[in-house]
Amino acid sequence: MIKFQLVSLGGVKFDEDVYEVILPTLDGQIGVMPGHMPLISAATHGAISVRRKSTDRDDMMEYFAISGGVIEVANNTLRVLVDEADHAEEINEAEAQKAMERAQQMKREAKDQVSLEHAQTLIDRSTVRLQVAGLKRRRTRG
Amino acid sequence: MANTITLKRRIGSVKNTRQITKAMELVAASKMRKAQEYALAGRTYREFAYSLLTRLSAITEVGEHPLFVIRPVKKRMYIVITSNGTLAGAYNANIIRMLTRAFIADDKAGIKGHVIAVGKQGAKFARRVPQIDLLAAYTEIPDHPTANDIRPILNTAIEMYRDKTVDDVQVLYTQFKSNLVQEATALSLLPARFDSTDEAENSLNNTTFEPSIEVVLDNVTERLLEVQVWQALLESLASEHSMRMVAMKNATDNAGDLIDDLTLAFNTARQAAITQELAEITGGAEAIQQ
Repeated sequence: MIKFQLVSLGGVKFDEDVYEVILPTLDGQIGVMPGHMPLISAATHGAISVRRKSTDRDDMMEYFAISGGVIEVANNTLRVLVDEADHAEEINEAEAQKAMERAQQMKREAKDQVSLEHAQTLIDRSTVRLQVAGLKRRRTRG
Repeated sequence: MANTITLKRRIGSVKNTRQITKAMELVAASKMRKAQEYALAGRTYREFAYSLLTRLSAITEVGEHPLFVIRPVKKRMYIVITSNGTLAGAYNANIIRMLTRAFIADDKAGIKGHVIAVGKQGAKFARRVPQIDLLAAYTEIPDHPTANDIRPILNTAIEMYRDKTVDDVQVLYTQFKSNLVQEATALSLLPARFDSTDEAENSLNNTTFEPSIEVVLDNVTERLLEVQVWQALLESLASEHSMRMVAMKNATDNAGDLIDDLTLAFNTARQAAITQELAEITGGAEAIQQ
């Protein structure tokens, strides 16, 4: 087992021993399992998937939507620092969809580089939230 | 009689004031509790972040990163965190006094100061003083800020540090120590520097960096600086509400004392009026009998 700590600006979101964690990094997805070598990497926006036990099936995984952060693996502990992390259960898909539409509206109306970047950040965030909400829905149906 | 009417009116108005200050006290108390929870929740993140950055700074490559380079200080930037509202005791005054002292000290050393003001009170002060070069004022920070609210502040600071417009960045904020103790504090944000040595055995010598140490360091450093600003902002918010609560509690207590004094004066005046009337009546009655 590897200790997985997910810490956001709003506090500790997850702190338990798990079997496997899949993280989105700048170079693509990486899987972290017990005994992983020491690593520091930059996370990008995407979904973190957590498998609690080795016997858990794919559809039993837990998901978090993140908007980027820092990953550190050391001494069989995986520490992820993110400014915001939403557990799949906390995401309301309808609200996320609306936020997405608002962000796209903002992007169309953006007049300068700064507001364009701001809108793009919001779109990226909404995309991830929707993606994670979708993962949750598939799991509930299955 | 006129005297008792005036006293009665004054008691009424002080009672109204007390009601308002009492309400403000309760509002501040509830906001403080929330801000406090928020600030405490962020501490874990800060500790992790700080420890990571400390260990990163132990690696030689870190010193060459533009954000870690220590330059002789000719221009200094102050990020000053104040409140939008007033009536928070010495909250804003403490920060402004700190800024003024720092400016005077810098002036003697030939350092030019720039200010980014967070909160209307700080911005108001900076605009009034011609010696202060106000770069930007952020007055739209909500009660529950998110990372998005502070990103523009930090981006300005980092950009100006990178292109050498400023050589040093300080954050002046109020540290929340307890409900009763809050302290104006200066946090040295840039250059990113750390003096901890006790984590040497937990070094990162065997650690792999993906995709490269430069990218990781860039990402980590900026992110971790962001945390420091965020934390300073939250501590300040908790302090602000706490100080406002105490100030309003004092105001409510004072109003209560004032009401007691006024009521006593009112009763004395009323009794004096009654005694006088009685004296007049008995006097009149005696005059008729004779």
